[in-house]
Amino acid sequence: MHDLPQQLANGLILGALYGLVAIGYTMVYGIVQLINFAHGEIVMVGGFGALTAYLALPGGTTLWLALPLMLIAGILVSTLTAVAAERFAYRPLRNAPRLAPLITAIGLSIFLQQLVFSFYPDAKKARVFPKIPGDPFSLGSVTVQRSDLFLIIAAPLCMLALGWFVTRTRSGRAMQATSQDPDTAKLMGIDTDRIIVMAFAIGAAFAAVAAVAYGLRSGQVDFRMGFILGLKAFTAAVLGGIGNIYGAMLGGLALGLAEALATGYIQHLPGMHLFGGGAWKDVWAFVLLILVLLVRPQGLLGERVADRA
Amino acid sequence: MTTRTETTPVIPLPATAATTLTGLGALAVAASAAMSWTWTSDFPGDLTYYGSPVGLQWLAVAAGVLTLALLLATLGTPGLRWAAPTRSNNAVLYAATGALAVAAYSVTSISTELGGLANLEPGGWVLAGGGLLGVLGALGLPLDRRTHVPLRILDKRLFLLLPAAPVGWIAAHAIPGDKPVAPVMTALSGALAIAAGAVLLLQLGHLANSQLRLGKVDRPLPAPRELPSWVEVLLIVAAFGVGSYAITFGIDTDYGELFIGYLLLIAFMIAALAGSGLLGRLRALTLKYRPVTTGAAFAAAASFPFQTGEQYASVATNILIFATVALGLNIVVGLAGLLDLGYVAFLGVGAYAAALVSGSPASPIHVQLPFWAAVIVGAAVSMVFGVVIGAPTLRLRGDYLAIVTLGFGEIFRITMQNLNGTTGPNVTNGSNGIPRIPELNILGFDFSQTHALGGIQIGRFGNYYLLMLLVTALVVLVFARVGNSRIGRAWIAIREDETAAEAMGINGFRLKLLAFALGACLAGVAGTVQAHVTYTVTPDQYTFADALPPNSAFLLAAVILGGMGTISGPLAGATLLFLIPKKLEFLSDYQLLVFGAALIVLMRVRPEGLIPNRRRQLEFHEADEPAPPAADDDTTALTKAGA
Repeated sequence: MHDLPQQLANGLILGALYGLVAIGYTMVYGIVQLINFAHGEIVMVGGFGALTAYLALPGGTTLWLALPLMLIAGILVSTLTAVAAERFAYRPLRNAPRLAPLITAIGLSIFLQQLVFSFYPDAKKARVFPKIPGDPFSLGSVTVQRSDLFLIIAAPLCMLALGWFVTRTRSGRAMQATSQDPDTAKLMGIDTDRIIVMAFAIGAAFAAVAAVAYGLRSGQVDFRMGFILGLKAFTAAVLGGIGNIYGAMLGGLALGLAEALATGYIQHLPGMHLFGGGAWKDVWAFVLLILVLLVRPQGLLGERVADRA
Repeated sequence: MTTRTETTPVIPLPATAATTLTGLGALAVAASAAMSWTWTSDFPGDLTYYGSPVGLQWLAVAAGVLTLALLLATLGTPGLRWAAPTRSNNAVLYAATGALAVAAYSVTSISTELGGLANLEPGGWVLAGGGLLGVLGALGLPLDRRTHVPLRILDKRLFLLLPAAPVGWIAAHAIPGDKPVAPVMTALSGALAIAAGAVLLLQLGHLANSQLRLGKVDRPLPAPRELPSWVEVLLIVAAFGVGSYAITFGIDTDYGELFIGYLLLIAFMIAALAGSGLLGRLRALTLKYRPVTTGAAFAAAASFPFQTGEQYASVATNILIFATVALGLNIVVGLAGLLDLGYVAFLGVGAYAAALVSGSPASPIHVQLPFWAAVIVGAAVSMVFGVVIGAPTLRLRGDYLAIVTLGFGEIFRITMQNLNGTTGPNVTNGSNGIPRIPELNILGFDFSQTHALGGIQIGRFGNYYLLMLLVTALVVLVFARVGNSRIGRAWIAIREDETAAEAMGINGFRLKLLAFALGACLAGVAGTVQAHVTYTVTPDQYTFADALPPNSAFLLAAVILGGMGTISGPLAGATLLFLIPKKLEFLSDYQLLVFGAALIVLMRVRPEGLIPNRRRQLEFHEADEPAPPAADDDTTALTKAGA
């Protein structure tokens, strides 16, 4: 157990990544009660947007200069994709039976993956993403990769900004009102269509931040990265209580921790020596999802889970 | 919805001129098949001979003859009147358009593949001319049209793509080619151009629609002539014979061009026959003699291996596996309204269970159960997994089930990969899978051997095809019996409105779990057969989305494309979705892309699928119904009070 602090740090960093993606699920769900399956692909598209910006910059640009530009490009691409998807795929189906938008989301997810796979040059394999160069930091027994610094700084900043936006601005309060009761919100003069677009856009912007963080961490982006990431992030959103933005972050951190601990320690449990390590981490995350749904379906911070339709 | 209709031609032509033109065009299309279409045998099928039609030329014959027959039938020619009970000229127009589509496709594919129109022989020109003439003439016939179709304009912002496309093209070419970003920009400008083209085409389509004003117009079917019942039964049998021949032709097409031509022809001919009222007649007959219809359908399906060789029997077996699993999924999705995105994993559970107890040397369990026991094991294990997944999730909103099943599909694959002896206990042999699954031998009937049945040799795949057909029959039986029972009606009630259904005393959770577990169980049964057909089970056969069916995404698509909640829908959808990627190999790179886009478009345009369930269709088009006019105030109030 001597490496416990290290595992905890790994788990928290990974969890921050899940949390950023989970925000996108939770915001959209909180307002239109739709699980946007394609959100994982919005992350992926953002990653490729950032990669494109990196490729467009002159060869010797330092990463400190390139990173903000990559971030802007990533946010631009993913937000545009999400808003277009909302406008042309989801909005026409808003009053359709519930199965229809879910199926559209599946179609959209496959479509975006294949679009990148088929038309982004050399995207058939993973494409190299820059890493922040330099040695890892050491704090006592914990080492942190330099590339993870971006996530450690960006995730809390994003959360603070979102918290401020939702509670302190007019649009943010309109968003809260819409999520509580769309019909009444409309009667109060809130343009709910605009709020829905905004929810998609904010989720997509966070997705792009997560994509850049993912790219920096793993040194690559590929067209399939959104699938498992999206699944994990959804688990995180459910774990924290879907519809609750603080819950998403909390759920992300909890999931990250659980995954790191399971990867590190499950093989030390009696009779489980063959089920540890990286090969099983996705399985444990899934088992956790099932357990949460069984024991506390409303999640850590969630209140209502009843059918509102 | 009341649509005002009129019967007028699109192109004002004298009636005789229009009829003559159409007839001449149809004749020309049919006759061109007897001529040479091109000078070289390089085009697949070798269309160079006079007097001996092959491949695409037979399609032209069929299109021409059918157009002519429908034209004569609508004119009231004695002896042919049965072919067009509604006397609608729209049927003639659809058939003529089908002939034009086949002609246009043949001519373009000949000239693009061989390089230029110069490669057409006189037959090709006659074909193209005949097709055009036929449609022009048919547009001059009095057609059923709506009096007014408003012109729809797309979202104005989309038109920004039109100037953006050339700007993108210029920008992409302004970047020096050695920059790493250059290929990205080229791809992006290409995508812009495609999107702009799509917007333009869509708007042109709306424009054409508002001008042609053709729409589905329901003409009442006149009462059918009284026929003795044995004649009616014979008619059903004949119809299924023709259908079986058409499907066999499609499966047997041996090059992509022929298959595309075939699809075009079939699509237009179905539209034409529906317009002429013939399909309505057939439908009425099949409803009257349900057992005969079911029998005829299965006889037609069972006759397949007797008609073709072993190569196509293998294709047909795989279609049948895919279709059966799709039908099982339809119980879950179509009847109970539960979105299962990892359904293929249950097929995998069944297949793995059967493989483990099959006596394969690679299986760590060294037992060889008889097939019937393996089926029970596969079904039971699948059902257990269904309950384990379903019990926690089905208490919650349906969306949770969707994502949990999506996760389950992925986790199943990962787990099967991990149980390989190094990253986990050795159960499944990891990514190598369980190979050398022994052939089935039921009551001394060895499935690996060729048997002579009724004088016709039936090979290995033929044997498995017939076995799989039994499983299909089982699933159809379960679907039909459960679907019409108290349970089935409860499922439909839950699908429509769970809260209301529970208020009526339905135990929503228990019934949803039943649907989910039943679906899993049927997939497991199909899996046990699949394991023996494919010799080997590997984790990669059971993915969420892949170029080859069956996988979860394609299964769902088969259900939705075909029609949720019906039996024939998923069978037709699965057949199409299996054959299209199989026959059109040049599409394979973009197949999933097209597939994803098609799902999105389908949900917007025709969410009820090709063969819709009546009730389902109404539900999906609730929003299209206009508000009742003010004059009907009394009745509205009444229905509202009644509701």
